[in-house]
Amino acid sequence: MAGLLELERVTAGYGGGDILHELDLSVEDGGITCIVGPNGAGKSTILRVVSGLLRPRLGAIRFRGASIVGLTPRAILQRGIVQVPQERSLFPTMTVWENVRMGAYTERDQRLIDRRLEEVCEAFTVVRERRDEPAASLSGGQQKIVEFARALMLDPALVILDEPSMGLDPKTRSTVFETIRAMNRAGRTILLVEQNARSGLGLASHGVVLESGRVRLEGDGPAVLNNPEISRLYLGATA
Amino acid sequence: MRIVLEAAVLGVLTGGVYALMASGLTLIFGVMRIINVGQGALVILGAYLSFALSRSIHLDPFLTLIVTMPVMFLLGIGLQFVFIRPLKTDREALSVLITYAIALGIEGVLGFFFTTNYIELRAWYETASFAIFGFHVTWVYVFGFLLCLAILGALFVLLYRTSFGAALRATMLNRTAAQLVGVDVDRVSALAFGIGVATAAAGGVVFGVTNAFNPGSHYDLISRLLSIIVLGGLGSLRGAIIAALIMLVTTDIAAVVISPVWASFVFFIILVLVLIVRPQGLYGVRVRERI
Repeated sequence: MAGLLELERVTAGYGGGDILHELDLSVEDGGITCIVGPNGAGKSTILRVVSGLLRPRLGAIRFRGASIVGLTPRAILQRGIVQVPQERSLFPTMTVWENVRMGAYTERDQRLIDRRLEEVCEAFTVVRERRDEPAASLSGGQQKIVEFARALMLDPALVILDEPSMGLDPKTRSTVFETIRAMNRAGRTILLVEQNARSGLGLASHGVVLESGRVRLEGDGPAVLNNPEISRLYLGATA
Repeated sequence: MRIVLEAAVLGVLTGGVYALMASGLTLIFGVMRIINVGQGALVILGAYLSFALSRSIHLDPFLTLIVTMPVMFLLGIGLQFVFIRPLKTDREALSVLITYAIALGIEGVLGFFFTTNYIELRAWYETASFAIFGFHVTWVYVFGFLLCLAILGALFVLLYRTSFGAALRATMLNRTAAQLVGVDVDRVSALAFGIGVATAAAGGVVFGVTNAFNPGSHYDLISRLLSIIVLGGLGSLRGAIIAALIMLVTTDIAAVVISPVWASFVFFIILVLVLIVRPQGLYGVRVRERI
């Protein structure tokens, strides 16, 4: 079965160097695909080429069977792919409410926007509770949850999350992972890049280990997690 | 005491003009992270355009803005498209060189067409005044101040009450995140540059009716505008307004209390003291460098 998102022989990089080398990757519809790997392996670069922030030098990227190479981030967003970047990406001096509304910036149907706002308020209570406060006043975990709420304003088919647990304490991290599970149960496909390989692969239906811009290993999340070589290379030190 | 009060009132009135000129500069920095050192020359260009229109078709200088603001807005979009957008790396440093080159180009063209003699924008009410608290205030300063207030008010409405304003603020706060929610940051950048240059047109007409100017007047102007946006905090519109008022009120009061020679020095002492306590300026956001 063809994946929701498919990368075929993608080469991409910055300046004169390549980070991804003829990379093949398939993200299955309805699942959670988690990409792990050491720093510099190209995890975030994959997300940048998918969301249109970086144009691949070679190769094809297809979403629902149609090429998205060369499209602007806005056009890719409108096709149903939304990315929550690695670093805190809320607009700090805007209120929580303004931030969430910005998630529907490309949508013109006000009734639809209002309905989505209701839905995200139901799913993420912090949005309603802190709606008039500046986003910068929220804790790191709350900011991440508001970023998720903003990402869902366009009801995307594919949600891309770049290291969502980075910089969070263990309790908040488990809340964030639970929220990712809930988004997936609600029918959204998740493409996750995670530095914390054990947590990420534990969550994933499909695991991908990236090394030097190439897929080193892939398979079911638990199978990748239990692979002895991967455990030794990537999980041993962080277990 | 009366003379200090008079200086303070004049400082507030002229501070509004500088606030408007600096708002364009800080808006451009906020959206594109570039320092447009050509803003002073664009103000002078605006003044010359108003001068040419008022002389040729006998329009009131303030009414020339109906023509000059849209023209300067389009010029700003053109300049951004030709000179700024192609900069892909080292934008901050290169933009200083490029906008300085733009300033020199404008100065050269104006010198060619208008000579380097000082001129002034003339209006029938330029010497009319009214008395308040025992001293006289010239109407032209009040008109200029009210115009600046109106344009700054419109700018705030645009920024805080419209969808485009939200996109512009989002781009100022986090360019990548703005792209990821669908903001066309290239379009926003071009429009922001256009708006910044259009404010220079408005600033130019008020500067021109209250000061004599020539094509080289932009050097003094840009040094003042840069000081204002540094004190206010780079990228902060509120900061630019407050800092402009601080600059003009302190220099005007220092000029009458101490000496005109020391007037600018007093402001720079305030600037240094503020930057020691708040390196990011009054309303700026502190950025931590990643190591």
